[in-house]
Amino acid sequence: MQRREMDDLLLGGLDRAVELMAVAAHNSFRFGGKNTIKIVTASKDDMQEIAEYCLSLGDMSPLGARDGRHLIELMKEPVALMIIGDKRRSHFNYNCGACGYRSCAEMNAAEEVESLTANGPSCQFRNINLNMAANSAAAMAWRLGLHCRMFSSFAFAAKAMEIIEDVDIVVSVSVSVAKRDPYFDRHKYWTQEHWDEIFDKEFPTFKRGFIGAIEE
Amino acid sequence: MTMERSLKQFEEDRKQAARIAARLLLASGTTSPRVGGVGECTIHIIDDECDIEDLCQQIESMADENKGWGFFKRDAAMLRDADAVLVVTSLRSLTDPSDINCNMCGKLTCEYMRKSERLPREQGIAFTGPLCTFRADNIAYAVDGIVSLARNLGIDYGVYWSAGAAAMRMRILPRDTGFALAVAISVTEKSPFRDIPLKYDEKNERTMNDRIIKRLWPQFRSIYS
Repeated sequence: MQRREMDDLLLGGLDRAVELMAVAAHNSFRFGGKNTIKIVTASKDDMQEIAEYCLSLGDMSPLGARDGRHLIELMKEPVALMIIGDKRRSHFNYNCGACGYRSCAEMNAAEEVESLTANGPSCQFRNINLNMAANSAAAMAWRLGLHCRMFSSFAFAAKAMEIIEDVDIVVSVSVSVAKRDPYFDRHKYWTQEHWDEIFDKEFPTFKRGFIGAIEE
Repeated sequence: MTMERSLKQFEEDRKQAARIAARLLLASGTTSPRVGGVGECTIHIIDDECDIEDLCQQIESMADENKGWGFFKRDAAMLRDADAVLVVTSLRSLTDPSDINCNMCGKLTCEYMRKSERLPREQGIAFTGPLCTFRADNIAYAVDGIVSLARNLGIDYGVYWSAGAAAMRMRILPRDTGFALAVAISVTEKSPFRDIPLKYDEKNERTMNDRIIKRLWPQFRSIYS
């Protein structure tokens, strides 16, 4: 066996890990035994595009923009992004009512509402199958010791940028072999002033004497 | 001849293992991811045999309500063999959309979704949608958290939406529950959730016993004793 450096090992491990995550996602539990999900992994260029798209949302979606800034930071160390998608129409015939229609046939016949994030209305059980696959991928990553977080924002961006095609609903799982877990406690993406301003706006009663009183 | 003490002990320990596993699975389901990092799911363990039977009877009673629910009786037959049932709920999907305007529900914005008319609570309707699909997806993470650990622990499992719908109908779940799924678990040598004949509700171990032994034995005893 030849000598390999740590960076090479980590990159190789990340590649293998993503493949195993795809296997776990593909083989996860499915309602109705329907395995129709589509799995792709984003290239570095794709991730750059996703980050720029998220950033471009700016004030329209501060959380999306925050995730864009985050992805740019993530890409400085080995990272992978798996995007999982599926179609929206029901093929279960469960007539469960969760989508707001009395029967699957009614939902399937309803007018499609397109948007950048998802096309609706979508079958709840297709969503469940999709997200169970995503969770299986995340569970595999967790077991393999990777840093991991699921992102809706990156998945929405990937759909909008047509990095994953021919799907209506999407979710993404990002994994990393950064030196420390980069996914949580993301304080650095907000300034303290911004945080204080938003907190005061969202929780105006926090500093008041009692609910309803305003001290000028 | 009495049953050997060691066999009784095995039966008791087997049930105890299922009860302990149910609680560990609850932990795994609870700590699985949530969309937006906002918690809203609860997990309820039903491990009393009588409570499981109540749930099964409710599932059976719903089978004829909707032409798409014919398999409910078969589900009930399987669930009767479960040692415990974990019901996972979503408490915000009905009343509190996530405000990210994702359009998965097809309403374009969460404001439209809030204003849209819900299906009535009546026979033939399991969930009074439209629900916030984004929120309800949390159940997928919780259920897969349970399934994922069950596989690691070597616990047999089956996932059933009929049991979730029945538990909602029985009003044993929190009031705001919009969507619920159930995971049944079993600690037996042969999984009661696999290799299931199509008409399992009619032909299963219980009904076969009923026909062959339980029906004939009392008469046999009465005549020949």
